[in-house]
Amino acid sequence: MRTAPSAPEEERGASPLSAAPILTLRNIHKTFGSHQALRGVDLDIRPGECLGLIGDNAAGKSTLSKVISGTYIPDEGEITMAGRPVRFATPSEARALNIEMVYQDLALCDHVDVVGNLFLGRELKRGPFLDQKRMLAEAERMLAALEIRIPRLTAKVEKLSGGQRQAIAIARAASFEPKVLLMDEPTSALAVAEVEAVLGLINRVKARGVAVVLVTHRMQDLFRVCDRVAVMYEGTKVAERAIADTNLQELVDLIVGKGGH
Amino acid sequence: MATYTERQAGSRLADFIGEHAQVLSIALFFVLCMLFFGAMTTTFLTSGNLLNVVRQAAPILIVAVAMTLVITTAGIDLSVGSMVALINALAAIVMASGLDWTLTLPLMLVAGALIGGIQGWFIAYQGIPAFIVTLAGLSILRGFALYLTEGYSIPIRDAAGFFWLGRGEVLGFPVPALIAILVAVLGFVVMLRTQYGRQVIAVGSNMEAARRVGMPAKRVLASVYVVSGVASAVAGMLIAARLGSGSSNAAQGFELQVIAAVVLGGTSLMGGKASMLGTVLGTMTIAVIGNGLILMHISPFFTQIVTGTIILVAIWMNTRLFDRQWRFGRRKSA
Repeated sequence: MRTAPSAPEEERGASPLSAAPILTLRNIHKTFGSHQALRGVDLDIRPGECLGLIGDNAAGKSTLSKVISGTYIPDEGEITMAGRPVRFATPSEARALNIEMVYQDLALCDHVDVVGNLFLGRELKRGPFLDQKRMLAEAERMLAALEIRIPRLTAKVEKLSGGQRQAIAIARAASFEPKVLLMDEPTSALAVAEVEAVLGLINRVKARGVAVVLVTHRMQDLFRVCDRVAVMYEGTKVAERAIADTNLQELVDLIVGKGGH
Repeated sequence: MATYTERQAGSRLADFIGEHAQVLSIALFFVLCMLFFGAMTTTFLTSGNLLNVVRQAAPILIVAVAMTLVITTAGIDLSVGSMVALINALAAIVMASGLDWTLTLPLMLVAGALIGGIQGWFIAYQGIPAFIVTLAGLSILRGFALYLTEGYSIPIRDAAGFFWLGRGEVLGFPVPALIAILVAVLGFVVMLRTQYGRQVIAVGSNMEAARRVGMPAKRVLASVYVVSGVASAVAGMLIAARLGSGSSNAAQGFELQVIAAVVLGGTSLMGGKASMLGTVLGTMTIAVIGNGLILMHISPFFTQIVTGTIILVAIWMNTRLFDRQWRFGRRKSA
């Protein structure tokens, strides 16, 4: 695994308490064939803050989050991380800079067990072999820290329920000291208690200074965890609101495009 | 509702059987075949015959271990039979031209890796389906073998060390069988205990997920064809060493036997699901059936019919009898 470039010292010294964005997106364009998925999006992501990304289906929320995670390469635009321009050619490059993502499709390997999925792509090794004992112990610790309960960690992921699978995907992204944590619909398949657990988790990682980006359709979740909300419409960011200055009705109006048209 | 409630742990036996259903079924099938041929003939269960079976199965087993990796990535390598023939012929030609066998051996392994690497490049980096690439390979490689030998068998002379690989014994155990067992153990360890094995499974299970977590997905996909190329080279040389000659007609239908053995062992053609132990058992089952039918004086032409039927029945048994939720003790879902 690649090591992340050393975090810029001057950044931390210059801005003692956040405010300065850790990740800045400017004029991001992405086109799939004839479909303009993103049409010049600007976005600031700040440490210790949860940014809600909302919008109708196909508004470009997932595409934008995948651009940040390195899954998609933008056609145009700049991304700077802590003041330095970065360019992710692969998700692993973003991951090396501690940008983690929970994908909507979870990106789990069904035929690999729970432990294996948690450590997918960064397996612990002892000599040439996998250190399964240590990975199992670490996995138990990781899941316990997030209050996620899975009965058997050596079970194949295909045997688990949708909620358990989602919990594993979240645990995988949240457990390796992320600086930016992107979550694409992390609560969509979850039951009530699990949603509570995820929201609690978001608040906890936020408190650790992690920048969280939450893509969601569940408006009620926004008011529980987010500090700011960005509204996407047809591949553009149409509005940005501090959560304290807005309400549910305004956000709904912004999403469906009332007032703007 | 699906909250995190405490569940009673289900039967561990049910979990075990559920997860190893395919291996258990092929193991049962293997034992049944052993008992059947043991009962029907007096010679089958003699140590001489059994050693003969493993000696003959050795090349298939070696390639089947590699093929397990290939099929785990949801790929297929149809070119292994032609590759065996090409290396088989090439080794004989190179040795006939005066190169020592100790140099021929690594040279052939490199050749196998190279040819496998070319096929892997087309599959992983150019996105051509493995079936197409290796089907072309099947034709091209066999064609090269025929072209080089002009269809003749080329004798290998004065290479006692080389012949030992195909005919020798260590403590009464045939050398090719020892090599095959070594390869199988290596395959087992690589698949279950190394990061590479984990990557192969991940790529077969969900290639996009593997890519997203930073695995070199394409490189892993290409690499399994290198492995199968090297394994085919080993098998080709073992066959040359046993027969004392190289021929472009060696290993006809070899790829089908290998694929049958792997699939019989429970490795899924859809990828992600692999069983090295199953592959070993599958290979031995096919070898035992072939050997047993001959000992029973049944027409050798019949062997193919029986082998095909058994593959069908075994897979059917897998899906109908073994691959479902098993319950033990309390009559509620485990």
